[in-house]
Amino acid sequence: MRLKRILVLGASMVALSLVITSCGSTGGPSSSAKATIRVASFNFSESIILAHIYGDALKNKGYTITYRDKLGNREIVEPSLENGLIDLYAGYAATDLTFIDKRQGAASEAGTDAAANVQKINTRLASKGVKALDPSPAVDQNAFAITKAEADQYHLTKLSDITPAIASQWTLGGPPECPQRPFCQPGLEQTYGLKFKAFKSLDTGGPLTFAALKQGSINIGLVFSSDGGITANNFVVLDDDKHLQQADNVVPLIRTDVLNSEITTILNSIDAKLNTPDLTAMNKSADVDKQDPIDIAATWVKDHGF
Amino acid sequence: MLATGVVGAVEDPWIRWSWISGHADVIIAALLQHIQLTLIAVVVGLLIAVPLGLLAWRSRVFRGPIFSVTGILYTIPSLALFSLLLPFTGLTIWTAEIGLVGYTLLILIRNIVVGLNAVPDEVREAARGMGFRPLAELARVDLPLAFPGILAGIRIATVTTIGLVTVTALIGEGGLGSLIYDGLLRDFKTPLVVGTVLCVALAVLSDLGLALLQRVVTPWARSRAVP
Repeated sequence: MRLKRILVLGASMVALSLVITSCGSTGGPSSSAKATIRVASFNFSESIILAHIYGDALKNKGYTITYRDKLGNREIVEPSLENGLIDLYAGYAATDLTFIDKRQGAASEAGTDAAANVQKINTRLASKGVKALDPSPAVDQNAFAITKAEADQYHLTKLSDITPAIASQWTLGGPPECPQRPFCQPGLEQTYGLKFKAFKSLDTGGPLTFAALKQGSINIGLVFSSDGGITANNFVVLDDDKHLQQADNVVPLIRTDVLNSEITTILNSIDAKLNTPDLTAMNKSADVDKQDPIDIAATWVKDHGF
Repeated sequence: MLATGVVGAVEDPWIRWSWISGHADVIIAALLQHIQLTLIAVVVGLLIAVPLGLLAWRSRVFRGPIFSVTGILYTIPSLALFSLLLPFTGLTIWTAEIGLVGYTLLILIRNIVVGLNAVPDEVREAARGMGFRPLAELARVDLPLAFPGILAGIRIATVTTIGLVTVTALIGEGGLGSLIYDGLLRDFKTPLVVGTVLCVALAVLSDLGLALLQRVVTPWARSRAVP
């Protein structure tokens, strides 16, 4: 008799989980012949905004869109695209090229010409069924920020103003992958001759980096040049006068099995209309004013007639 | 430097009620996904743990390997596990579930074995004396008497899983963890607070619910004083 109770209990738990599973699943079968496109984003607001700008514009043209928001860093997102787990994400010409080069065991070819970077991405990814479309004029580059107090104290406006003596007193803050990335710690060492006292593993230009910089637990931190919080927090971005950072223009990377001429036209015309001030303003809305990245994207899509 | 203050930025309050009312659908969807991920993990974990638990209880040969393998599974850092599984299982709910189920196994199997070991030998002998065959003895004597111990394991596994589900936000699942993750990424306290509070509430309610269930299905235990 007891066993019967246990069995009933077990069966009802299974049944309940099945009910919830069926409630939780999203998206029905696509009614039209147009493809379903799985759009992914990195784990920061700008990426979510860009993914939803691409996705919403395509949705308005009758495509079925499923979002994989905040999927992770490039180490998760880019291989997912190559393996066909997702179809589209908003990449960055130089960072993605460098990442792909490294993944394929080649030397980094990224340069300061966005179109050339995109062309090289396409050479590398043609066999993987992935295509990069036109780069946008909108740029979001890695940049290094310090506090205004430090900038004033040492009279710093550009990265080459930092002397090795200052660097040897300073702690650098950045994402965990910074000590390996040529754009980050190794680049600062080789291009600017800066050896920092220590490195602190934080996030990719996110709230941890901002808080650490504000509290003085780091002296210089990796940020995104289009981050709306830089001026809001009274930080100063040092000019990259020796061109450590490559042309990191926004560029959609998409799987060729879902790509057609209509999608190419839509995404390329979005790219043409995106620009860095817009990007910076949208980032501020999301990160400083705490508006929803998804709503911000919807507004941009509506305002630009997509 | 700390006193420099923030220029132009609005101070982020702990709770923005307008965000909550505007995102009720998102919050409810996250809560439902959290319950779904937890239920699947515990139910599937139980389906695997019961036969393995019986095997570990009955056979000394298997007990060591079963305990050590599930013990090793339990020690894998969750942060790494989900990302490591991703290339093999893809962006499906199962990437999350394989990890979550793996973490329930040690708790469930140990409690099943402990529960069964706690069944007094005299009771078992009496059952045999009454002519129970082994399977009937297991189903009608051993398992029911071990049930309080097994349910204690289910309680721990459920509460642990509710906490662990939040980590799967890193691979795009996460339930309430996706709210917490959003709050962390944007330095936005409201989703962080909402996700955390609901997660704790869910854990407490589940634990109370299972405790109640334990009282209902083991009425004989009620009259006995618990040491």
